Amino acid sequence: MNKLSDKKGYPWFFLDAMPSWINTWTVTICIILVCALSLFVYSRFSTDLSPDSLAGYSYAIIGSTFMLLATFLYTRTRKSHRRKIGQLNASLNWHICFGIVAMFILFLHSFGNFNPRSGTYALYGMIGLVLSGFIGRQIDRFVPRQITQEVKKALTEQGDDRIELISRNVQDIVSYNTQNLSAFPANAPAPTKATRPLPNTVAASNPISIRGTSLPGSWDIAYISLEETPQEISRYSQQYRFVPDKKSALATPGALMPGYNQQIEQLQNVQHALQREQFYRALIRYWRVFHILLVLLTFGLTIWHLVYAGQLLIPTFFRH
Amino acid sequence: MLRMLKPNAIILHKTRPQVGQEIQACIGCNECILACPAVAEPITIDMLNRETLSGSISAPIARFARACYQCGACVAPCPVGLHRDAMMLWLKVRLLSMGAEE
Repeated sequence: MNKLSDKKGYPWFFLDAMPSWINTWTVTICIILVCALSLFVYSRFSTDLSPDSLAGYSYAIIGSTFMLLATFLYTRTRKSHRRKIGQLNASLNWHICFGIVAMFILFLHSFGNFNPRSGTYALYGMIGLVLSGFIGRQIDRFVPRQITQEVKKALTEQGDDRIELISRNVQDIVSYNTQNLSAFPANAPAPTKATRPLPNTVAASNPISIRGTSLPGSWDIAYISLEETPQEISRYSQQYRFVPDKKSALATPGALMPGYNQQIEQLQNVQHALQREQFYRALIRYWRVFHILLVLLTFGLTIWHLVYAGQLLIPTFFRH
Repeated sequence: MLRMLKPNAIILHKTRPQVGQEIQACIGCNECILACPAVAEPITIDMLNRETLSGSISAPIARFARACYQCGACVAPCPVGLHRDAMMLWLKVRLLSMGAEE
């Protein structure tokens, strides 16, 4: 037990059994055993095993008392301004203990009668309430670890914001590529020059004169210059990769910005991690709201059951 | 009763420099620990602040960090408006990293 408690990591399953937790669970088990034993003894001496028997009323009163204790003791401790460190945790443990005991005793009060009446609905409400509390405790145990994992994805090893880091990387990639692209027209001739008709000076070395008019060398179809024309780019020059054909691997999106797509993918992963973190935090908070709403519903059903039982009991009581 | 139905505000995590600033700003009044339903044994705020960012993590602080369920109950009572839940989350991240290293 101590080995598990002193473990420094954050495993999925850990058991940090504190004294208050052990005490409350011991008390819970003891009360449940005593109540079960009392039912066993009562069933030996009496044949009236119904919710409106002496034992049934006793269970109803004790169960309702535990239900009230579970609700109001914890609320009172939360509202109290004079608290000690750990008092709220101890109070939460007692809240769980009283809730479980109340459900068990009210279950005994039913004596197995689950007719569709007000008492059955009140008992279902109580079972739902305890179950929601149990699920809530599991959420409180496992979801924070999930939040931690998501946060770890959103932070760098040094604890900085990963989105900022990715944004900087993307900016660097974009500026690097922009510089390369802007360097391209500076090294090569401008496209406007390329589309312009060739100047006379190109053919001036070998002019052909027809009736005194000078014609460029390219006028002759057989004339092919071996000189590199301004439109041509050397296959081996660095800029060649900026004019890929359609089938080339360079034509694929992102080929001109190596690393950019990976960065965007990482950014999306971090954004998803942030969304999940927000969802998990909302789950913890709204499950608590759901639990409180179930308390209100169970109280409503219990009051309805008490009014219903009172309408049956009070005339009988006055008749005697 | 309606106040109980209103959930605590949801904030996302903070970065290490932000957590460091918050720890620097902590006045050590213990209000956050008193309001915490997860803390089960007596720990001091100095100890918690010291072990949150760096250094070794003692067993009581590790137990407290694991038990913290990020409910945000510690945020409202802080007189200087700090987010103890964000600090605890950083402690949890450290614990998780330590577990992964082991």
